[in-house]
Amino acid sequence: MTAILDIQDVRKSYGSYAALKGVSLSVNQGEFIALVGPSGCGKTTLLKQIAGFEEPDTGRIAIAGADMAGVPAAKRPTSMVFQKLALFPHMTVAENIGFPLKLRRTDTAEIKKRVGQMIELMQLKGEYLTRYPRQLSGGEQQRVALARSMVSAPKLLLLDEPLSALDVKLKKVLQAELKRLHRSVGVTFVHVTHDLEEAMMLADRICVMRDGAILQLGTPADIYYRPAGSFVSGFIGETNLLPITISERTSSGLIYQAADIVDTDGRIAADLVAGKVAKGPALLMLRPELLRVLPPGETADGAIAAEVTEMFGKGGTVQYRARTPGGQMLVVEIPGTSSLPMRIGDKVRLGFTKKDIYVFGVEA
Amino acid sequence: MIARLEGRFIDIVLWGSLAAILIFFYIPIFTLIAFSFQEGRFLTLPFEGISLRWYGELFRNTNALNALWNSTLIAIITTVIATAIGTMAAIAAVRYRFRGTDAFRLLAGVPLAFPQLLLGIVLLLWFSVLGRMLDFSTGISTAIIGHIVYITPFAMVIVAVQVYNFDATVEDAARDCGASSFEVYRYVTIPLLWPGIFSAAIFAFLLSWGNFYLTYSLAGSTRTLPTFIFSGIAIGSSPLYPAIATVIFIPGILLVILANRLRRT
Amino acid sequence: MADEVPRSWRDPDLLIKALPTVLLQTTCFLAPLVMTFLLTFQRSRNFQLQWSWDLWTWTDVFSKPHYWTILGHTIFMAAATVAICLIIAFPIAYGLATRFKAWENEIKVLITFAFITDATLKIYGWALFLDKNGMANYALSSIGLPPEMVAFLYTDWATLLGMVYSLSAFAIFTLYLSISNIDRSLILAAYDAGAGKFRAHWEVTLPLCKPGIWAGSVLIFLLSVGAFLEPKVLGGGKSPMSAELIRQTFETRVNWPLGAALTLVLMVVSVFIVLLFSRLIGLKRAGLAA
Ligand SMILES: Nc1ncnc2c1ncn2[C@@H]1O[C@H](COP(=O)(O)OP(=O)(O)O)[C@@H](O)[C@H]1O
Ligand SMILES: [Mg+2]
Repeated sequence: MTAILDIQDVRKSYGSYAALKGVSLSVNQGEFIALVGPSGCGKTTLLKQIAGFEEPDTGRIAIAGADMAGVPAAKRPTSMVFQKLALFPHMTVAENIGFPLKLRRTDTAEIKKRVGQMIELMQLKGEYLTRYPRQLSGGEQQRVALARSMVSAPKLLLLDEPLSALDVKLKKVLQAELKRLHRSVGVTFVHVTHDLEEAMMLADRICVMRDGAILQLGTPADIYYRPAGSFVSGFIGETNLLPITISERTSSGLIYQAADIVDTDGRIAADLVAGKVAKGPALLMLRPELLRVLPPGETADGAIAAEVTEMFGKGGTVQYRARTPGGQMLVVEIPGTSSLPMRIGDKVRLGFTKKDIYVFGVEA
Repeated sequence: MIARLEGRFIDIVLWGSLAAILIFFYIPIFTLIAFSFQEGRFLTLPFEGISLRWYGELFRNTNALNALWNSTLIAIITTVIATAIGTMAAIAAVRYRFRGTDAFRLLAGVPLAFPQLLLGIVLLLWFSVLGRMLDFSTGISTAIIGHIVYITPFAMVIVAVQVYNFDATVEDAARDCGASSFEVYRYVTIPLLWPGIFSAAIFAFLLSWGNFYLTYSLAGSTRTLPTFIFSGIAIGSSPLYPAIATVIFIPGILLVILANRLRRT
Repeated sequence: MADEVPRSWRDPDLLIKALPTVLLQTTCFLAPLVMTFLLTFQRSRNFQLQWSWDLWTWTDVFSKPHYWTILGHTIFMAAATVAICLIIAFPIAYGLATRFKAWENEIKVLITFAFITDATLKIYGWALFLDKNGMANYALSSIGLPPEMVAFLYTDWATLLGMVYSLSAFAIFTLYLSISNIDRSLILAAYDAGAGKFRAHWEVTLPLCKPGIWAGSVLIFLLSVGAFLEPKVLGGGKSPMSAELIRQTFETRVNWPLGAALTLVLMVVSVFIVLLFSRLIGLKRAGLAA
């Protein structure tokens, strides 16, 4: 696979504020990459450097093998869907969508044809063509913005939180739509969102950013089950992080002690440990759905004794909160049909399988 | 109950003062319009009759027609130049940061708060001294320069409001669509600023068209409608002058209404 | 929206936009002001300017109480104009920002037109209206009052009326802008806290539109110290104000150095008063920013 976008050590400061602190990222042709991170972490800034609205202070950006330094936005094979859409309020829908073609001196008949195709692809009604953006609903405006970005057949589509302003239902519809578009046109998508759930749904790979740097780049499953640290692990869903102490680290794995965990041999294989973990304090992650209630007498690779303090029905599953004797709170999620329902006040043992745990270091 | 009464009372006070101020504002304007239809020779009541006689006089009076032509010429040239410079200054003042942004804004805006008579005098001195050195005398072109100095800041402020409310990401969007800097201006920036530019142009025209103080100081022996009227007040006037005033009002009210229309869309 | 990084003056985009204004206002505003200042060190003999470079003119200015009396009178009239303009503008501006919504545009058109129409015409209209044989007296006498009731024209009151007339629109516009920027919920919060309507406005609206009040006041004050038509046409030139004095000095006495000095004194004193007040009110920058 060839890299359509190659970013190397890009840095960007606004005055004394470093918005990007050395970002490197390589995106393959046809991939759907989601860029996630809390508000203000530099996602929009990164897109602006790629699209060419700003030039990075240092670092290199190459698109389809060509270095983009000094290439203005108008000349880059990228196209952006803006957070606030940025539709031209004084142009009709047809004029908006046809604008990139008009600038390329395409003849009017051709423009008309291509605009018609885009309208169809976006499942917009033909009668909208003569309307102005303010006469459309939020979702329709969104589709027009997408159409305008795609009409010139860019190599790289940059989407800056295009769905964040929409209500939940519409958001779901458009998420599915984006996925469909991506499959049908085969363009590379770089999709910014602060919603990791959305990223999980849409992306081939997810890039998690924080404070102007990339924390982790990986498949949705990696991000969920093999997060690079507590920040990433806490970014989506709920998670249990148990403090442990690593007494020995070898190439085959590590040996640890944890007050709350019983039944364990105290060993973890190397592939279940994040890169930089060393001797000393660390965190052991267990997703709530990977814990189960052990019937009396049964053992598991590891077990934690706890007392149930709260429960919430979540439709198909039930979520419990439980407290260990050491005071650590745990979240457990089990199917509502479980043969071992728990009640508040129950003293239980929560078991887990060795391969389901993941260990990473304590972050500052 | 008390709150209701209070609300009522506030409404009465507000609408009452609005009515009062509009009457106040329009007293002299309607006085002039009324006297322009006076049949007789004198500007006193009661009217001897109603007629358009003085409008006829006006169009036979070459001095008045000359003044009308001068006013128009000065206003048109001033409008074009002041609006162009003011628009560019507005974009620079609102959107750009550079060394001396504050000083620039101050310099660009301060003639607004400068009494026109004094501006006229200061410029008169300047042109007289320069004129003596470079051998020119005051006339229509010095009047135009004076108008531009005074009116450009007005144009700038009006356009600046539009620039301020302008979401610059649409320019990025245009660039992203492949537009060159020139095309961004042509297809996006100027069309979107147009309502502001247009009302600035209208204001510029009206301010110049009716300007007395600057023309009075700077136009040399050239007369415009306002200075023509002023000379008329001095020499015991006839309804000719109210008739001129009424003629001056006409483009004014039309253009103000038009500007307001456009600003709303 | 605005630039994040300052532009260099070598940036052609900036040059094209800012340079015309800079050139215009330095050559036709700043330079004339500087020259006016230099002129005050010259003398006028037999209606001719003589380049003498001395303090003769300034000695003259500071030794004649007459000039300063007129200046004092001018400042007083300007201050009175500011006060009256603010009082009459407040209800209009408040109404425009809150209650006149349905008619907002029509009202703005009417006010704007009256404002933008040239001063000469309007003052002339007032003179006709207030004249002994004018509308006002005619109206009064037709309801049985003696026509001399309105011996109003050619008094300071008529001057003041003209100045308020010419400048009150500035107060309406600046107040309107700052009142419409006030967050309505603050006023609701004040009601909520138990304040009556008047109280709520007194405690919330008024303090929050301070910048508007200040910007309007500065503008009106600076423009009214330069008033010339009103005292001449409506006040009948009986108690001259500084602008008229300056005009006479230039036109009748053809004494440029003295005229220049009087112009500068007027400007410096008014700007000084504005600065003094801004210190007092603690709103140093609001006037300039607006
Ligand atoms: N034009 C700018 N000037 C100054 N600071 C900026 C500018 N644009 C972004 N920043 C700062 O850079 C950081 C990253 O912004 P951004 O990339 O927009 O974040 P997000 O991840 O929410 O899109 C923020 O702290 C923001 O305040
Ligand atoms: Mg963003």
